[in-house]
Amino acid sequence: MLEDFDIRYSVPEDIECLKSWLSLPGETDGFAFDLEEMESALKNWIGFAKYKASLTGHFQGVPCAVGTLFLMPYLKVAHHCSFYLAVDPDKRRKGVGTSMVRNLLNLAKTRFRLESVHVEIFEPSPLLPILEKQNFEIFARQEDYVKIDGCGKARILLEHFF
Amino acid sequence: MSPITIRFSEESDQECLVSWLLQPGVLRWFPLTDLKEIEDAARIWIANAKYKACLTALFDGEPCGIANLYLQPYRKLAHQCLFAVVVDEKHRGKGVGTKLLGDLISLAKERFQLEILHLEVYETNPAVNLYKRLGFEQYGFQRRFIKENGQYLGKIMMQKRL
Repeated sequence: MLEDFDIRYSVPEDIECLKSWLSLPGETDGFAFDLEEMESALKNWIGFAKYKASLTGHFQGVPCAVGTLFLMPYLKVAHHCSFYLAVDPDKRRKGVGTSMVRNLLNLAKTRFRLESVHVEIFEPSPLLPILEKQNFEIFARQEDYVKIDGCGKARILLEHFF
Repeated sequence: MSPITIRFSEESDQECLVSWLLQPGVLRWFPLTDLKEIEDAARIWIANAKYKACLTALFDGEPCGIANLYLQPYRKLAHQCLFAVVVDEKHRGKGVGTKLLGDLISLAKERFQLEILHLEVYETNPAVNLYKRLGFEQYGFQRRFIKENGQYLGKIMMQKRL
């Protein structure tokens, strides 16, 4: 599949793709926001496109993933950042997530000269094996950080140093 | 009678907050560098006053410290929150921080029904001992979080179940 895969900088209109993928049942479980809170969260997310800090993956010319570096607003912490990634549920388990993470790391290192990139995931997360393969290391685990339908889930924080 | 009293913060306390953050050495423990960043952070901090999530300590009637609950904007996270505290250097070592945090913990538990309170503190900050005394336990450590003049400081992440 990855032969037909390409990556470009995201544009504000990619918010529609994010909306359609994350509107499917259970798809917001990996994020802090829920379906009703999604609109404003996604506006903030895609807002980083104006800094060229967001990448959109394409398969056969159709967007299939959006990954974004959330650049830090203060100078003392501007040497690192976190990221968000969403992959079209129909295009999973084909290497899209791995490719997006690799390209985000490359963007962070080469364009923004960052020293590390970190990410927050909620357990269980399909992103965990991808992150471990890319040498992300766990630096925090907080039980019951998220509560969905009264059920607590841990958050895991991981970081990749260049 | 104790000279320390606590009231809900008011928008006008922003000026005190900015002046305390500008005191020598204080910014070592915050991710802020210049006046623009301080004013930006203070505005976000004081914005919580309208939810009655921000407390101001008074020493003989004069503001001497502020503590703030950063209430979570999303439902899944609404059972926990991060907080921050700053005390005027003139009034350190008088129990202001302990009193403020004690009242903030009560506010978190009783008014907002929070289940977890967490904080971030940079390594070597002596406030870690106060947090430990109040029952906070470390759940994570992010190395090289702060970079200032080429020197790094790690971030200790602590939490307390209420």
